[in-house]
Amino acid sequence: MQVYLPIAEMSVDALLLLGIGFGVGWLSGMFGVGGGFLLTPLLILIGIPSAVAVASGANQTLGASVSGLIAQWRRGNVDWRMGLVLVAGGFAGSAAGVQFFVLLRRLGQVDLVVALFYIVVLGTVGALMVMESVRAILRRRRAAPARLHEHTWLHGLPFKMRFRKSRLYISVVPPLVVGFAIGVLSAVMGVGGGFMLVPAMIYVLGMPTGVVIGTSLFQVVFVTANATLLHAVQTGAVDIVLVLILLAGGVAGAQFGAAMGTRLRGEETRALLGLMVLAVAGSLLWDLVRPPPSLFAIAPLP
Amino acid sequence: MRRAAIGLALLLGAALGGLAPPIARAQPPAAPALAVPPLVAELSQRRIEITTGFTGADILVFGSTERLIGEASDEVLVVATGPPQPMVVRRKIRVLGFWMNGPSATFPQVPGFYAIAGTRPAWQMLPEDVRQSGRLGLDALPLRALGAQGPAFRAALLELKKGAGLWVEDTAPVEVSGGRLFHVRVPLPATVTPGTYRVEVLLVRARRIVARQELDFEVVRVGAAARIADVADTAPLLYGLTCIVLAGLAGWLGSVLFRRS
Repeated sequence: MQVYLPIAEMSVDALLLLGIGFGVGWLSGMFGVGGGFLLTPLLILIGIPSAVAVASGANQTLGASVSGLIAQWRRGNVDWRMGLVLVAGGFAGSAAGVQFFVLLRRLGQVDLVVALFYIVVLGTVGALMVMESVRAILRRRRAAPARLHEHTWLHGLPFKMRFRKSRLYISVVPPLVVGFAIGVLSAVMGVGGGFMLVPAMIYVLGMPTGVVIGTSLFQVVFVTANATLLHAVQTGAVDIVLVLILLAGGVAGAQFGAAMGTRLRGEETRALLGLMVLAVAGSLLWDLVRPPPSLFAIAPLP
Repeated sequence: MRRAAIGLALLLGAALGGLAPPIARAQPPAAPALAVPPLVAELSQRRIEITTGFTGADILVFGSTERLIGEASDEVLVVATGPPQPMVVRRKIRVLGFWMNGPSATFPQVPGFYAIAGTRPAWQMLPEDVRQSGRLGLDALPLRALGAQGPAFRAALLELKKGAGLWVEDTAPVEVSGGRLFHVRVPLPATVTPGTYRVEVLLVRARRIVARQELDFEVVRVGAAARIADVADTAPLLYGLTCIVLAGLAGWLGSVLFRRS
């Protein structure tokens, strides 16, 4: 069944989109991540223009994260104070990211830079995840008592603020910087950034794991909303038909994935997710280094 | 299609009976006194609608000539042109092992769609200078580039447009039935841009264009697709906010519907 995407200006098989949405939703439910980092490359793979894939990916991530945020908020797992600081950084970051995107579009390098961002970010994160989880599996039996959080030079910065729910009294500079960086990624890659935000919150900010998921969803929802709005205004590349079809498949898949995820052990899950992230990075890298099928590309003048 | 068949039958009757339909705007320069115009043509549709289920369309160009169609006498050439669309052609170059977009050429005036078909290929029917000045044939399109120059960019534009089915040359000849009735199908792919398309039907006699008729049809977005593209274009802020609300609602609704607990 073909469906015409009004912004992408092309017809795509609706069942294929539903299938992609379901598959990505299933994986994201299983691993507890937004799945934007899988969705955007898959959309580019089936021929959706990079700009539309990124802008719509951000919008889809917003929809996919809303229900999770509501659930976490009800359980009181959201440190909204920390969330607001992250969102402040995130708004600035996504605004800068969209400006960068507009510039790339003018230079005709959207495809290359989006792919490079994916390769660097996913390659690093995937490798770290696999290493960390393998180490955790190896030392499972001889567990060492862990400290609440490490004190580093980051905690000596000015503008300290008390985050009661996270049991932290730290400077607002690190969360602002983290939020900004995730905001840039969200605008350029069309992801929520949860897969980077969660480790950053645990290892850089030293937040307790209980509030990390809820607070990261808080940041993801607001920052992807901002990225969606800015993309709609500045690049005009958000395709709502595409987003809604993907969401229809995605929310169904996420519920099945979540049911399955509870039966997997933490370290194995993370190792699997890490391998998957590395596989996506690898295929994107291969696309950049192999000789292209056509030496020329045409596009309407932006 | 049925409308087209009825049209064909009507036209045939009209031509044989010596009656010209009022829509014919043919100018016979050689013999102005003739009651029968040398050429009448019509389109099966004047409006192609792009709906959310649009997968491309065919438009049928049909008509009849005063004399018998054949290599020695009258011949018919049909050219369809879409609205102009500026295009950028980029060459991929290899930098540090990565393939990236390198030099680019901008073609400010190229038709978004171009199709030509004749009872014979145009280059066999017409002298080269007439064909070039009349832009009859893909190699006769005036493709002037800004930026990087070189024949490779032009060739790539031709190649990729042809590959996308947006520029079509002589894929199927104009078919003739009953000696004077001609018809040809112009295929519009799903990627056609909205706008006014012009179909030119030319009558060639003894290597000269003796009559021409111009017919227009519209490609329009209709229904939900049209409204979405419209709002996104004219009120991007409103559109962005709507996208946020809709995605949020869809996510929330979906999690309620599919909750498995």
